Amino acid sequence: MGHRKKNRNVAIVGIGQTRYSSHREDVNQPEMIQEAVRLALKDAGISIAEVDAVVHGNMELFEMVHQPDLWHVLGTGAYGKNAFRVTTGGTTGTTIAAVGDNLVASGMYDVALVIGFEKLQEGHTTGGITNMADPLWARNLLTGALTGTTASRMIKEFGEERAKRASMMMRVIMDKHAALNPNAHRSFGLDFDQMESLMANSPKLVGELQLIHMCSQSDGACALILACEEKAKKMTQKPVWVRDHITVHREETFNLFGNEPVEMTHHFAARHLFERNGITDPVEYFDVFEMYDPSSWWGLDWLREFFLLEGDEHLKLVENKEIMVGGKIPMNPSGGVIASNPIGATALVRVAEAALQVRGDAGRHQIPKSVKHALASGFGGTLWTVLFILEKELTGWGDAK
Amino acid sequence: MSEYFGVKVEDIFNTMPERFRPEGAEGVTASYGYSIQGEGNWRLTVKDGKMKIEKVDAFSSCATVTVTDGETFVGINIGKVDAMKAFSSGKFKVEGDFGALAKTAKMFRKYVPPPKEMSTREFILDMFATLEKRFQPKKAEGLNVSIGYDIGGEDGGKWTAIIRNGECALKEGLVGKPTVTLQVQSAADWVALMLGRIDPLSLLSAGKAAIVGDAQLALKLGEIFSPYVPPGEKAKELEQELLVLRKTISVNQRFATGPVMGKFLKGLKDKKILANQCPQCGRLQLPPREVCAECRVRSTGWKEVGPKGHLIVNEIVYYASPDPLTGETRETPYGSIHVLLDGCQGNETFWHLLRPDQIDQVKEAWEDEKGTRLRPVWAEHRTGSIHDIQYFEIDS
Repeated sequence: MGHRKKNRNVAIVGIGQTRYSSHREDVNQPEMIQEAVRLALKDAGISIAEVDAVVHGNMELFEMVHQPDLWHVLGTGAYGKNAFRVTTGGTTGTTIAAVGDNLVASGMYDVALVIGFEKLQEGHTTGGITNMADPLWARNLLTGALTGTTASRMIKEFGEERAKRASMMMRVIMDKHAALNPNAHRSFGLDFDQMESLMANSPKLVGELQLIHMCSQSDGACALILACEEKAKKMTQKPVWVRDHITVHREETFNLFGNEPVEMTHHFAARHLFERNGITDPVEYFDVFEMYDPSSWWGLDWLREFFLLEGDEHLKLVENKEIMVGGKIPMNPSGGVIASNPIGATALVRVAEAALQVRGDAGRHQIPKSVKHALASGFGGTLWTVLFILEKELTGWGDAK
Repeated sequence: MSEYFGVKVEDIFNTMPERFRPEGAEGVTASYGYSIQGEGNWRLTVKDGKMKIEKVDAFSSCATVTVTDGETFVGINIGKVDAMKAFSSGKFKVEGDFGALAKTAKMFRKYVPPPKEMSTREFILDMFATLEKRFQPKKAEGLNVSIGYDIGGEDGGKWTAIIRNGECALKEGLVGKPTVTLQVQSAADWVALMLGRIDPLSLLSAGKAAIVGDAQLALKLGEIFSPYVPPGEKAKELEQELLVLRKTISVNQRFATGPVMGKFLKGLKDKKILANQCPQCGRLQLPPREVCAECRVRSTGWKEVGPKGHLIVNEIVYYASPDPLTGETRETPYGSIHVLLDGCQGNETFWHLLRPDQIDQVKEAWEDEKGTRLRPVWAEHRTGSIHDIQYFEIDS
């Protein structure tokens, strides 16, 4: 894959999130976005006048507003600025972060504001996702993002009891994390002794995918401000450096259900990104991972893909609670996508939460060790992957190839 | 921090900024110390019509220092203790300029304790005590039903609302066999639900609540009863009216197939399943695609496959989603399947549906074991669409 070193260094200098909720009927779309933008500007200690470019993203069909950036300009502050609209399905949030990084790294703009949002209550999420498939064939067959194939495969590979328990354990861990995050949409107060009853009682969606496994449908917005090295150092004592990111997609994934092994986009992305950054043992290297985990079956399965693990190593990480706050490699201290899922913002929230961990500013869900290296992933569409590496220090990670 | 008359000492200090009246502080420049035994020391600074309150270790440059205990301090502030009596009995001492202290009386509005939080049990009792009053007869026309409430935990209880002839009567306990019964494990969850702090789907998905009986009736309860409003909050209606506009978008669309997909769809009309083939890697694509994305060349070859094959994956879908091409809600459960048709190999699978009554009678493939043998059931009138095959069924 063609990839060049950055023209100049870029840091995240401002982070703003609304609270995530099933209903934000107290505000309209631009008003909700404005909440996140205002918080990000305040965090960076700048005014909108100092922003050079604005990148806006969400899902195309969820609220059925085409070019919503026109309406939203009241909340984004993009009036009279270089403004871009980007939409890449579930990955939108990480794609706009990548665009913001690229815009600043190129030298074209010094300060970029990137905004992801969604008001899922205003449309029909599963209907919207189903519309993503081609209308000639797959749209008749797709049920949004709901699938039980991963559960089915894992049950065959690891046995029913072990696979089901591991995915439910991940679900409970995510719920415990969400309880620590005041912005999280859902936290039920689940505990490990409820796993059996959840497995028995939660309604089934598709195959062994149950309602309790699946992510929420949330309203909310997230905004990040990225700045070039020179300005970042003036704006904040705690810049979070965007070291590298990679985007991978494979359109055919809907059709690949045969007998031959397929390298998943997550694995492909991780393999290439780590290789070009000289990271040989990702579980050792990273201090925290914010994963776009749409269900606790996918979240469980994808640990193996992202960390390039073998066999049942990923199950062990969960079973030994190594992914819990306080564990070896905490995953989604924020509660993750299962807790809060304003889709166009969701992937950006992963980058934002990873950056908060690096800064040490995550509050009650801050992990109890120094965070120097963070990983954040986006997921969407027909298995798109965007993967980010964030760093606390600007030096000491060698030259990107 | 102890409570006196239900109020903490720090509540008095912490609310000072919001109780401050700049007009009462005109021309005053002074610092006041408050030493509350067993609670701590605070310093109030007033200057230029602004104030600042802070917790301090020691007093410096204060015009007066008030020394008292928590009970006396809170009592005087909320009017439960007479200030003059406390002063003369020595419970309330002032060191320094007494006259300066007197001015602070004008600077602050009186402290009013916030309404006491109701307990879960109090909420539960109030919610059911007001249920009959909240009944909306117009929304229940023609309904002769009963609704059971089974609220678990110490604070819970059981009630039945009987709706008949436009009237609602609440009985204790579960009476007879209610049309629908709402079961909630924890009374606190029921309170949170009634106050709009959590949504019902969250409780249901967490297995913390269940609907037994007529689920459709359960969905209508939000209309049959007006929302619960806690006592004392009736005047708290939103100053600004918040409206939600409802819209339905319905658009007629036409999608061109192009020659490649067109050839495949024409094949279905003739009961033929046609895959196309990449000239470089040789793989088949179903439905056919214009190019092989891996080799980036046109897929020019054609091969008829199937129509029978072996099941690879059977996804049993329970979630009723809308069909985006018709807007109709799909009937569930159904089997969304991937079949390896005869003549195909590896990942060259075909995505379609399984006969609804056979979804739990088939076996998926795993490693070397083949899945159930299937055959397509063709529609009588074929138009060149996915529906030309009704579904696949077991080939026996």
